[in-house]
Amino acid sequence: MRNFIEISVGIIAAFIFNVILSRLFFSLALPFNFLSLVVIYFAMARGEILGACLGTFCGLIHDTFPLGVFGLSGLSKTITGFLAGYISRKIDVNPPLRSFIFISILIFIELILWIFLYSFVLSERLNIGSGWIFFQPLSTAFLGVFLFRFLRKFKISKP
Amino acid sequence: MPLFLKEKKSLIVLIALILFQLVLISLQAPLGQEQNYFGKAIFTIFSPIQHGTVSFVRNIGNLWRNYFYLHNVESHNQKLREEIFILQEENNLLQNALRRFKGEKEIQDNLQAIRENILVAQVIGLDASNYFKSLVIDKGSLDGLKKNMVVLDGKGHLVGRIIGPISLKEATVQLITDTESGISVFTEERVMGVLTGDARGRCSLKYIFATAIGISMGEEVVTSGLDGIFPSGIKVGKIISITESDPLFKGVKVQPHFDFRQLYQVAVVKIDSKDLF
Repeated sequence: MRNFIEISVGIIAAFIFNVILSRLFFSLALPFNFLSLVVIYFAMARGEILGACLGTFCGLIHDTFPLGVFGLSGLSKTITGFLAGYISRKIDVNPPLRSFIFISILIFIELILWIFLYSFVLSERLNIGSGWIFFQPLSTAFLGVFLFRFLRKFKISKP
Repeated sequence: MPLFLKEKKSLIVLIALILFQLVLISLQAPLGQEQNYFGKAIFTIFSPIQHGTVSFVRNIGNLWRNYFYLHNVESHNQKLREEIFILQEENNLLQNALRRFKGEKEIQDNLQAIRENILVAQVIGLDASNYFKSLVIDKGSLDGLKKNMVVLDGKGHLVGRIIGPISLKEATVQLITDTESGISVFTEERVMGVLTGDARGRCSLKYIFATAIGISMGEEVVTSGLDGIFPSGIKVGKIISITESDPLFKGVKVQPHFDFRQLYQVAVVKIDSKDLF
């Protein structure tokens, strides 16, 4: 039950941050992939099966609003979630620098996969939003490192 | 459970989820416009959260504006009063011109029908994959919205039309800058074409023969009404470039009038185009 609440809060918070950013300055929403951060965080904490399932769910949420095909983001986030859980079990990705590189690579893989699927399925070019989207791996990883450390410290300090 | 399955459990789950996504994608592609029931259900659940978030942010902004920028309120009100005055004068002149062709009662009935069927809506969400394809507004089926209702900006310029999914209090608007959008339009010289988006904030006017005359830069483009969805005479944009790279058709680019960066509020025309006048 506690896991479910934590995951739900994470998803809703990510969703709300995305909405707020896109309303304030829509290009600012492109460099930050909040839903993927939720997927990666819980995949690292709970394993690859939860990561993949959460990736599917978060990806379907992400696909809800565009006029595109339902399932594109789902597929890319599913793979990201699985890889995050699987690799974090094999190597220690907790140190900040390793965590930064790890999250960057995962978000990069997700982005490439998503762009490829989008172009292949819809047969059209993606609007890259003046190039802001290509900052996504680094800026999301940067945010993720601080967020994950904060959340881990918060959990440790709780009695 | 057999040992090999236990060991490969995570891989089996991954493959099952990937297959599920692929089936979902293949059921929709290449349509992409009509969402399935699952998509509509997710939209119905999450669009109120988006709606609530935008309202909250807007209220915070209003608080700031109302209590910390009071010195701007009076000048802003004065500008609005002047604008209303001009609009009222314009309205009177247009009614006078219309009286030459229609009776008074008929005009008032038509105007009343228009007043009752224009719904103002706030933009609460944008398409995350391509901002020029669609947006989400805070009115839905409870407010009487249906598919193919026309959406205009604050100055009466065409923005797009309502498409699915429509939940109780939210609806999706397909913008005219979407590549899947197609509108029958006229230029000022009555050259007819089909306007589609290029997914980068502009539109292309298609099927203008290379031999067509009477089409020039800066010309206004308006809806023709021939597609049965958009009423005739709605301003869409201006021609900004004409190329002749194709031997059969001219390449005409149109800059839409609506300003995407200022699109916080839209007007939905609830009445059918043939019932307008």
